[in-house]
Amino acid sequence: MAGADDNKVMTAKEAISRFVNDGDELIIGNYTVGTCCELVFEICRQGKKGFTLYSQSGILDVDVLVNAGLVERLVSTYVLRSGGKKGGGAVERALQAGTLEMEDYTNFNYNARLVAGMHGFSFMQVFEGIMATDLFKIRGFMGQDKYRVIECPYTGKQIVTVPAANPDVCIIHVQRADSFGNAQYWGSMGSVAAAALCSKKIIVSCEEIVEHDVIQSSPHLTIIPAFRVNAVVESPWGAHPTEVLGYYNMDRFFYGMFTMANVSADGAKAWMEEWIYGCENHEAYLERYVNKFGMEMLDKIRAKPFYSAPANYGSAFTSSWDEQGRERSMGITREEMENLMKERGMLYE
Amino acid sequence: MNKPYTLDELLIITCAKEIKDYQNVILGVGLPTTAGALAKALFAPHATLMMESGIIDFEPLVPLNHIADAHCCRGFSYATDLFSAFTMTYRGFIDICFLGVGQVDRYGNLNTTCAGDYFKPTLRLPGSGGAADFISYAKRTVLTMRGGEFVEKLDYLTSPGYLEGGESREKSGLFPPGTGPSMLLTTKGVFRFDDETKEMYLAQVHPGVTPEDIKKEVPWDLKVASDLTVTERPTDEEIDFMREFAPIMTLGRETATELTIGNVLKNMEIRLKKKNASTGT
Repeated sequence: MAGADDNKVMTAKEAISRFVNDGDELIIGNYTVGTCCELVFEICRQGKKGFTLYSQSGILDVDVLVNAGLVERLVSTYVLRSGGKKGGGAVERALQAGTLEMEDYTNFNYNARLVAGMHGFSFMQVFEGIMATDLFKIRGFMGQDKYRVIECPYTGKQIVTVPAANPDVCIIHVQRADSFGNAQYWGSMGSVAAAALCSKKIIVSCEEIVEHDVIQSSPHLTIIPAFRVNAVVESPWGAHPTEVLGYYNMDRFFYGMFTMANVSADGAKAWMEEWIYGCENHEAYLERYVNKFGMEMLDKIRAKPFYSAPANYGSAFTSSWDEQGRERSMGITREEMENLMKERGMLYE
Repeated sequence: MNKPYTLDELLIITCAKEIKDYQNVILGVGLPTTAGALAKALFAPHATLMMESGIIDFEPLVPLNHIADAHCCRGFSYATDLFSAFTMTYRGFIDICFLGVGQVDRYGNLNTTCAGDYFKPTLRLPGSGGAADFISYAKRTVLTMRGGEFVEKLDYLTSPGYLEGGESREKSGLFPPGTGPSMLLTTKGVFRFDDETKEMYLAQVHPGVTPEDIKKEVPWDLKVASDLTVTERPTDEEIDFMREFAPIMTLGRETATELTIGNVLKNMEIRLKKKNASTGT
C-alpha cells in the first residue's frame, strides 16, 4: 500500500493544528448532512482565523465559525436562519455589523467551481439562466471574477462561466476510512467528493477506522483516495448533532437547542461556551451531553442496520498459472517458458 | 362529511395534486416533501421522487429533515451527486419542482436572499440554494409561500420567473420554452399565471377566504379569475395518510418544536428523580 509508512492517524487537535492555518481558504466538505462538527469545533477551540470559508449549504458549521469571529469571507448558496422572520443567525449579524463579506451562488454554480477545481480546469460552464438574476448582476468581493461570459467556440452562443475553486484545506466527515486515508462515504452524495478533491490538503474524520481489506472489497464507496489525504481522525459521533447514514440520525432536539440559541449573539455565545470552548475535545463534549441528557437520548437515534447488497468483485482466477502450473493461455510451464527464452536468444547475461 | 382538517393538511394536499403519475419530481424541504410522499402513496405511484443532493427515486417513510436526508427512506435507486442532479434539470428531465418563496412579484420572480440592501440586509434570508437553477430549467415550477410577501419590486432577484412579463422570459433566450412558475400556493389561495401577460391572477381561494382578504396582501391590482374556484378539502384517506406519515407537518413546526422540547425536559426530570432515588438522596 502506497504511503503505508506515513502515520496519518491523529487527533482532531493535532490535525487542525498541523494542517489549518490563519488566513486559509477553508472548505467544509459535507453538504447539509454529516457535518464535520468535531473538526469545526476544534478550529473554534484553537482560534485559527481570517478564513475565506466555503460551504455548499451553511448550517451549524458556518454559523459557529462566523459567530466565533474566525471568518472574513464566505462563499455559499444557503445560510441558516433560526426561527423564521423573528429569528436570525450569525451570518446575518456579521453582515449587518460589516465584519463579514459574502458571495452568493446557486447550488449548481457553487458546485461547478469545485468540479472545475477538482479536475484541474480553470473554469466551468454554468447555466445561462443565471444572467437574469441578481446573483449574476450583484458582485461581492470576487467582483468581475464571480462570473464571466465567453463565446462558445462551437455554437457561437454566449456562455456563463465560474472560476475554479482550489481551497487550501478541506475538513470532511465520512462513515469510514482506513489508516492510510482511503475515505468511504455513502448516502447523500451532494458535492462532498468534489469539495475534498478540489482542495490542496484534506483532513478526514470518520465514524470508524477500518482495515484496508474492507476498503479494497468496496472501492465504489471510496470518494477520496489515500494519497490525497493528510490526516485521518477517528471520531465516533463526530458529526453530532447532525446525522451520519448507517450510524445515527439527526439529534433534532439538540440541533433545535442550537438554532434557538443562535437567534441572538449572546445566545450563540453561551451555547458555544458550554458545548465548544467548555469541552476539551469531542469526548468531553459527548460526556457532557450524556451527563446532561442521558445516554438514552443517543440510543434513540442510533441507526439500525440496513446493509447494502454486496457487490461481487470476484474474477475467474488470481494467478496467471493454473493448478498444473501451466500458463493459462499459452499452456506452458514456467520451466518450459524459461527454456524457450534461452533457446531463442532472448536472455542477456 | 369529511373529517375536519388543519391548514397545513389543506396546503399539502393542494400541492400534491400538482404531481402526476410517471413524472420526475424534485422535492424541496417542508411542505413539498410531504406532498410528494402523499402523491406517490395515493395517486402517482410511478412518480420518481428526487432531491438535489443526488438522492434519486426514493420512497419516504418519515418526513425529511432537509434535501439531503437519506435517513427518511430505506435505500433508494440512484445515488448521484448534486452536479449531475442539476445537469439533469438543465437537459429537461425534470417535470416538476417545488420552491419556497420569500418575496414574489406579479410575474413570479422570487427573492429568497435578503430584505433591504444586499450588502447590509435588514433580514438575511437563506439564499438561492438550488432555486434559481430549478425554476430556470424544470418544465413546471410550483411556488409555495408561508411567511413571505407580495411586492411591487423585489429587494433582490434570486430566481427568475417571467421577468418583465409577456414574452420577456422566452425572448431572453436564456430559458427553454414553456418553463417558468406555473402556480403559487399561499395560506389563502392558489395563483396562476396568465398565458399572454404572464401576470399572476387569483385562480382559487381556500375555504372561508374571500378574494378581498387576499387583495389586501397584494400591492398591485390583483386580477381574479372569472371562474374562481374554492380549494377542495382533503378526503379522509388523505388526512389519515398525512397524520400517519407526517404528524409534525400536520401539527406545524412551531407547535411540534414546543412539544419536542417539553418532552425532553420531562424525560430529564424523570431521569433525575430515578437517579436521586437510586443514590438515596
